Amino acid sequence: MVAGHFGFAAMVKSREKSAPLWALMLATVWLDIVFVPLVLTHLETMQTIHKGYGGLLIHADYTHSFVGMLGLSAILGAMFLRAEGKRVAIVIALVSASHWVLDLVVHRPDMPVFPRNLGNLPYFGFGLWNHPPVAACVELLLVIAGAIMYWRAAMGVSAKAGKGGTLASVSAAMIAAFGVLVLALDYTS
Amino acid sequence: MSFIAGILLFVVVVGLVDRRLPWPSVKQQEVGKW
Repeated sequence: MVAGHFGFAAMVKSREKSAPLWALMLATVWLDIVFVPLVLTHLETMQTIHKGYGGLLIHADYTHSFVGMLGLSAILGAMFLRAEGKRVAIVIALVSASHWVLDLVVHRPDMPVFPRNLGNLPYFGFGLWNHPPVAACVELLLVIAGAIMYWRAAMGVSAKAGKGGTLASVSAAMIAAFGVLVLALDYTS
Repeated sequence: MSFIAGILLFVVVVGLVDRRLPWPSVKQQEVGKW
Protein backbone atom coordinates (compact mmCIF):
# COMPACT_ATOMS: atom_id res chain seq x y z
CA MET A 1 0.00 0.00 0.00
CA VAL A 2 1.56 3.23 -1.21
CA ALA A 3 -1.28 5.04 -2.92
CA GLY A 4 -3.56 4.79 0.12
CA HIS A 5 -0.90 6.24 2.40
CA PHE A 6 -0.46 9.24 0.08
CA GLY A 7 -4.22 9.69 -0.04
CA PHE A 8 -4.28 9.86 3.73
CA ALA A 9 -1.43 12.43 3.69
CA ALA A 10 -3.51 14.61 1.35
CA MET A 11 -6.45 14.32 3.76
CA VAL A 12 -4.29 15.49 6.65
CA LYS A 13 -2.96 18.39 4.57
CA SER A 14 -6.53 19.58 4.01
CA ARG A 15 -6.97 19.82 7.80
CA GLU A 16 -3.45 20.90 8.84
CA LYS A 17 -2.85 23.52 6.21
CA SER A 18 0.46 24.78 7.57
CA ALA A 19 2.13 21.35 7.35
CA PRO A 20 4.15 20.92 4.13
CA LEU A 21 2.60 18.30 1.86
CA TRP A 22 5.96 16.79 0.97
CA ALA A 23 6.71 16.27 4.68
CA LEU A 24 3.33 14.61 5.24
CA MET A 25 3.90 12.32 2.26
CA LEU A 26 7.38 11.50 3.49
CA ALA A 27 5.93 10.79 6.93
CA THR A 28 3.25 8.50 5.63
CA VAL A 29 5.84 6.20 4.02
CA TRP A 30 8.59 6.79 6.59
CA LEU A 31 8.42 3.24 7.97
CA ASP A 32 8.79 1.85 4.45
CA ILE A 33 11.70 4.20 3.71
CA VAL A 34 13.58 2.83 6.73
CA PHE A 35 12.45 -0.66 5.71
CA VAL A 36 14.34 -0.46 2.37
CA PRO A 37 17.93 -0.45 3.72
CA LEU A 38 16.99 -3.13 6.24
CA VAL A 39 15.73 -5.32 3.38
CA LEU A 40 18.90 -4.68 1.42
CA THR A 41 20.95 -5.80 4.43
CA HIS A 42 18.59 -8.76 5.06
CA LEU A 43 17.66 -7.58 8.54
CA GLU A 44 14.07 -7.51 7.32
CA THR A 45 12.67 -9.64 4.51
CA MET A 46 9.66 -10.13 2.25
CA GLN A 47 8.07 -13.45 1.42
CA THR A 48 5.92 -13.89 -1.66
CA ILE A 49 2.61 -15.61 -0.89
CA HIS A 50 1.26 -15.18 -4.40
CA LYS A 51 2.02 -13.01 -7.39
CA GLY A 52 0.30 -9.67 -7.75
CA TYR A 53 -1.29 -7.12 -5.46
CA GLY A 54 -1.04 -7.83 -1.75
CA GLY A 55 0.89 -11.03 -2.27
CA LEU A 56 3.57 -10.34 0.28
CA LEU A 57 4.19 -11.47 3.83
CA ILE A 58 6.53 -8.86 5.27
CA HIS A 59 8.96 -9.80 7.99
CA ALA A 60 9.64 -6.25 9.17
CA ASP A 61 10.10 -6.96 12.84
CA TYR A 62 11.89 -3.68 13.51
CA THR A 63 10.29 -0.99 11.34
CA HIS A 64 6.75 -2.40 11.44
CA SER A 65 6.65 -3.47 15.07
CA PHE A 66 4.34 -1.31 17.18
CA VAL A 67 7.15 -0.10 19.44
CA GLY A 68 9.50 0.36 16.47
CA MET A 69 6.81 2.47 14.79
CA LEU A 70 6.50 4.66 17.89
CA GLY A 71 10.27 5.19 17.98
CA LEU A 72 10.64 5.92 14.26
CA SER A 73 7.64 8.29 14.31
CA ALA A 74 9.07 10.16 17.30
CA ILE A 75 12.44 10.47 15.54
CA LEU A 76 10.81 11.84 12.37
CA GLY A 77 8.71 14.30 14.35
CA ALA A 78 11.82 15.47 16.23
CA MET A 79 13.61 16.01 12.90
CA PHE A 80 10.92 18.55 11.92
CA LEU A 81 10.60 20.21 15.33
CA ARG A 82 13.01 23.08 14.76
CA ALA A 83 12.01 23.85 11.19
CA GLU A 84 8.24 23.47 11.46
CA GLY A 85 7.41 23.95 15.12
CA LYS A 86 5.80 21.73 17.73
CA ARG A 87 2.33 21.46 16.21
CA VAL A 88 3.48 20.40 12.74
CA ALA A 89 6.15 18.09 14.21
CA ILE A 90 3.46 16.28 16.22
CA VAL A 91 1.23 16.04 13.15
CA ILE A 92 4.12 14.57 11.15
CA ALA A 93 4.82 12.02 13.90
CA LEU A 94 1.13 11.05 13.98
CA VAL A 95 1.00 10.71 10.20
CA SER A 96 4.02 8.43 10.39
CA ALA A 97 2.17 6.36 13.01
CA SER A 98 -0.86 6.21 10.70
CA HIS A 99 1.23 4.05 8.37
CA TRP A 100 1.17 1.27 10.95
CA VAL A 101 -2.59 1.60 11.45
CA LEU A 102 -3.34 1.45 7.71
CA ASP A 103 -0.92 -1.45 7.28
CA LEU A 104 -2.64 -3.20 10.19
CA VAL A 105 -5.82 -3.31 8.10
CA VAL A 106 -4.28 -4.82 4.97
CA HIS A 107 -1.34 -6.90 6.21
CA ARG A 108 -1.66 -10.53 7.06
CA PRO A 109 -0.62 -11.13 10.67
CA ASP A 110 3.03 -10.14 10.29
CA MET A 111 3.31 -7.04 12.48
CA PRO A 112 4.70 -7.63 16.00
CA VAL A 113 4.34 -5.50 19.10
CA PHE A 114 8.02 -5.38 20.00
CA PRO A 115 11.09 -5.33 17.72
CA ARG A 116 12.23 -8.86 16.82
CA ASN A 117 8.93 -9.96 18.38
CA LEU A 118 10.40 -9.94 21.86
CA GLY A 119 8.18 -11.88 24.25
CA ASN A 120 6.78 -13.95 21.39
CA LEU A 121 3.51 -12.05 21.43
CA PRO A 122 1.01 -12.61 18.58
CA TYR A 123 1.58 -10.87 15.26
CA PHE A 124 -1.08 -8.43 14.12
CA GLY A 125 -2.73 -7.81 10.76
CA PHE A 126 -6.37 -8.01 9.69
CA GLY A 127 -5.42 -9.47 6.31
CA LEU A 128 -7.47 -7.40 3.88
CA TRP A 129 -4.82 -8.32 1.29
CA ASN A 130 -6.45 -11.74 1.27
CA HIS A 131 -9.23 -9.98 -0.64
CA PRO A 132 -7.28 -7.95 -3.22
CA PRO A 133 -10.25 -6.24 -4.94
CA VAL A 134 -11.61 -5.03 -1.59
CA ALA A 135 -8.20 -3.80 -0.42
CA ALA A 136 -7.66 -2.02 -3.74
CA CYS A 137 -11.08 -0.33 -3.42
CA VAL A 138 -10.16 0.91 0.08
CA GLU A 139 -6.91 2.33 -1.29
CA LEU A 140 -8.73 3.96 -4.20
CA LEU A 141 -11.22 5.54 -1.80
CA LEU A 142 -8.35 6.97 0.25
CA VAL A 143 -6.75 8.41 -2.89
CA ILE A 144 -9.96 9.95 -4.23
CA ALA A 145 -11.09 11.28 -0.85
CA GLY A 146 -7.61 12.69 -0.18
CA ALA A 147 -7.42 14.41 -3.58
CA ILE A 148 -10.92 15.92 -3.20
CA MET A 149 -10.32 17.14 0.38
CA TYR A 150 -6.94 18.57 -0.64
CA TRP A 151 -8.47 20.29 -3.71
CA ARG A 152 -11.25 21.89 -1.65
CA ALA A 153 -8.76 23.16 0.95
CA ALA A 154 -6.34 24.41 -1.71
CA MET A 155 -9.13 26.19 -3.59
CA GLY A 156 -10.21 27.78 -0.32
CA VAL A 157 -6.82 29.23 0.56
CA SER A 158 -6.31 30.35 -3.06
CA ALA A 159 -9.63 32.20 -3.05
CA LYS A 160 -8.85 33.87 0.28
CA ALA A 161 -5.52 35.04 -1.11
CA GLY A 162 -7.27 36.40 -4.21
CA LYS A 163 -5.61 33.91 -6.52
CA GLY A 164 -7.04 31.62 -9.15
CA GLY A 165 -7.53 27.93 -8.58
CA THR A 166 -5.38 26.59 -11.40
CA LEU A 167 -2.43 25.64 -9.21
CA ALA A 168 -4.73 24.05 -6.63
CA SER A 169 -6.41 22.00 -9.33
CA VAL A 170 -3.09 20.95 -10.89
CA SER A 171 -1.73 19.86 -7.52
CA ALA A 172 -4.88 17.92 -6.62
CA ALA A 173 -4.99 16.32 -10.07
CA MET A 174 -1.37 15.20 -9.65
CA ILE A 175 -2.22 13.57 -6.33
CA ALA A 176 -5.23 11.77 -7.83
CA ALA A 177 -3.46 10.74 -11.03
CA PHE A 178 -0.33 9.50 -9.29
CA GLY A 179 -2.36 7.63 -6.69
CA VAL A 180 -4.44 5.85 -9.33
CA LEU A 181 -1.32 5.12 -11.41
CA VAL A 182 0.59 3.63 -8.48
CA LEU A 183 -2.43 1.60 -7.43
CA ALA A 184 -2.88 0.31 -11.00
CA LEU A 185 0.79 -0.63 -11.26
CA ASP A 186 0.63 -2.26 -7.84
CA TYR A 187 -2.55 -4.17 -8.68
CA THR A 188 -1.34 -5.45 -12.04
CA SER A 189 2.21 -6.27 -10.92
CA MET B 1 14.23 0.51 -7.01
CA SER B 2 12.85 2.45 -9.99
CA PHE B 3 9.42 2.27 -8.33
CA ILE B 4 10.83 3.85 -5.14
CA ALA B 5 12.71 6.47 -7.18
CA GLY B 6 9.46 7.31 -8.97
CA ILE B 7 7.65 7.74 -5.67
CA LEU B 8 10.35 10.01 -4.27
CA LEU B 9 10.34 12.04 -7.50
CA PHE B 10 6.58 12.46 -7.18
CA VAL B 11 6.91 13.63 -3.56
CA VAL B 12 9.46 16.24 -4.66
CA VAL B 13 7.40 17.46 -7.66
CA VAL B 14 4.04 17.64 -5.89
CA GLY B 15 5.77 19.18 -2.89
CA LEU B 16 7.21 21.94 -5.05
CA VAL B 17 3.81 22.63 -6.67
CA ASP B 18 2.11 22.60 -3.26
CA ARG B 19 4.63 25.10 -1.86
CA ARG B 20 3.50 27.68 -4.41
CA LEU B 21 -0.01 27.66 -2.96
CA PRO B 22 -0.82 30.35 -0.38
CA TRP B 23 -1.16 28.00 2.60
CA PRO B 24 -1.28 29.73 6.00
CA SER B 25 1.75 29.74 8.24
CA VAL B 26 1.71 27.90 11.55
CA LYS B 27 1.03 31.16 13.41
CA GLN B 28 -1.87 32.09 11.13
CA GLN B 29 -3.44 28.67 11.56
CA GLU B 30 -3.02 28.72 15.34
CA VAL B 31 -4.74 32.10 15.73
CA GLY B 32 -7.57 30.92 13.50
CA LYS B 33 -7.15 33.44 10.72
CA TRP B 34 -7.80 30.67 8.22
